[in-house]
Amino acid sequence: MDGEAEYVIGIDCGSTLCKGVLLNRHGVAAFSLQPTGWNLQESAARVLANLRGNAADIAPNTADNDMVGNMPIIATGYGRDMATEKTKAVTEISAHARGAEYLMPGVRTVIDIGGQDCKVIAVENGRVLSFQMNDKCAAGTGRFVQMVLERFNADINLMDTLLAAEKIIQLNSTCAVFAESEIIGLLAKGYSREEIVGGVALSMAVKISSLSARVGLRPPVVLTGGLAESSGIRKALSQVLKVEVQFLPQGIYAGAIGAACIGGF
Amino acid sequence: MIEQRELPEIFESFSDARKQGFMAMKNLKEQGKGVVGTFCTYVPVELFLAVGLVPVGLCSTSDETIGEAEKVLPRNLCPLIKASYGFAAADKCPYMYFSDLVVGETTCDGKTKMYELLGKIKDVHVMDLPHNQDRPASRAIWMEEIKRLKNRVEEKFGVTITVEKLHQAIRERNRERALLKKVYELSVMSPAPLSGLQQLQILFGAQFKFDHEKKVQELEETISRITEEYQNGRHPIPAAAKRIIVTGCPIGGVTEKFTRVIEESGAVVVAYENCTGAKQFDRQIDESADPYDALCDYYLNIGCSVMSPNPNRLELLGRLCDQFKADGVLEMVLQSCHTYAIESYTIGEFLKTRSIPFMSLETDYSSGDTEQLKTRISAFIEML
Ligand code: SF4
Ligand code: SF4
Repeated sequence: MDGEAEYVIGIDCGSTLCKGVLLNRHGVAAFSLQPTGWNLQESAARVLANLRGNAADIAPNTADNDMVGNMPIIATGYGRDMATEKTKAVTEISAHARGAEYLMPGVRTVIDIGGQDCKVIAVENGRVLSFQMNDKCAAGTGRFVQMVLERFNADINLMDTLLAAEKIIQLNSTCAVFAESEIIGLLAKGYSREEIVGGVALSMAVKISSLSARVGLRPPVVLTGGLAESSGIRKALSQVLKVEVQFLPQGIYAGAIGAACIGGF
Repeated sequence: MIEQRELPEIFESFSDARKQGFMAMKNLKEQGKGVVGTFCTYVPVELFLAVGLVPVGLCSTSDETIGEAEKVLPRNLCPLIKASYGFAAADKCPYMYFSDLVVGETTCDGKTKMYELLGKIKDVHVMDLPHNQDRPASRAIWMEEIKRLKNRVEEKFGVTITVEKLHQAIRERNRERALLKKVYELSVMSPAPLSGLQQLQILFGAQFKFDHEKKVQELEETISRITEEYQNGRHPIPAAAKRIIVTGCPIGGVTEKFTRVIEESGAVVVAYENCTGAKQFDRQIDESADPYDALCDYYLNIGCSVMSPNPNRLELLGRLCDQFKADGVLEMVLQSCHTYAIESYTIGEFLKTRSIPFMSLETDYSSGDTEQLKTRISAFIEML
């Protein structure tokens, strides 16, 4: 990057959510979040339009059409190649590492639970040292959690309440499809939804611990991605991984922020 | 992204060799030549060349017949083994079809057991490969197996393999090995004068050219043309491209996807440690020794993961990393290949001592995992 750009846009096109940030020297100037829906290109374009609007508002002096039109756009996430307007694409692995470092300097391990994959990334100074990724099966992904919550007519905000349960049960199935039938069976046996959601969080944590075994977990450990806000998931992870998984404010935007950082700041 | 720009015309003749070879082989058959199909680098092809038989690699690097194979073989088996069997069962590979004799070897369990089934369809001779390289008993077994293969060939084709002819065949093959080594060593230059995909296509394609003199001539021409154009300032690979060495299971055909993904991510494959590359062409057979001793020592010392221990793979890989100034090593492991999958850890630890980043990836013969490979490989290259 030429270093002259006032603002850089980072856009993280995930399978469930499309996240974008407008970044300048002083920090994140604007956030934007859109459900991905079935049209990745469109949601990316909406995020972009939002952020451009913000840029024009925030910096009326410099915000002549040129500046707004020429901001570097760095795309990441599984739909990065589908974002039509971009200067550059980077993988979500590098982006999350860099974004987490931006949000919490000194971070050493990033656990990213995305819509359709999860990864454990060893980081040093914002650079990836090594990583492990599971994208071959749905268990251990955000999609799995969402599916279970939908079954209980609960949304993500309710999850932490559900996860507060003292008693949780162990799910035996390691595959999301089988887990679903197992859950139906458990409901028939009279288990509560709290116990079952707790079980799902736990089984997800176990999945992640098998990934992290190959990377090595060095603190500080943070959670990024769509479930970053959930204290329940963090608790389950901390328990299973035997290391505190810390709260990363704006962790859901880590990928987008990292992409923007890679682009310019 | 590394553009796969045009190479001198002569290159085409290699990238297309497998297909063109079908006709060439048909003609050879019509002239009454015997054909021997092989699967593995351990098979001493000089025994066939010595008596004018045509050896051909039954590489089976496509997923076309895997469905057919799975009627008989288990699903969770290495795709190379399934495809190899499938091509015979479905009668879809002209090379398999033309092979009068198929020579297998007890490298891994999957292949060993597959040959039993293949034997019901084709005339199969299996060599008993020891899995250790430094015990005298292992060498004795391998020597005996080479002699047994000699007898089998003589019997089957009604020929006599003389020491003189064997010497001649060793010299010919050595010459070819040396040239193919020269081909891949072109990429010692920085930036590399050709992409890894092009290199692979030459190395892979050369095995489907059956006229020794012509092959030698074409290889020499290819090398001098590439060198010449490079010296004239034609540098198709950007100097900034990260230099990758590929190791692991045999690569070629459908698994070219591995190289494609690496080069689409902006890096360049400078060398292959795999069987399609250095593992096969790095060393020469001793021309001054007794030919059977020479064959025995050369072949037994191939550094494949089926050997235990397997120091030669590390030695070669380490040497390639230095010679090619590698920025990273990527390993391709075929699904369900235990020996390579397990050895992966050893490779990783070895490369750690040399501070060379390493990642191992599992794949199969389908194209379904291209995106998954892409994310991992791009992330690996971004971290270099
Ligand atoms: S990788 Fe090993 S078993 Fe496979 S062809 Fe090469 S030497 Fe033979
Ligand atoms: S790739 Fe592995 S499992 Fe497949 S044939 Fe070769 S050694 Fe056997």
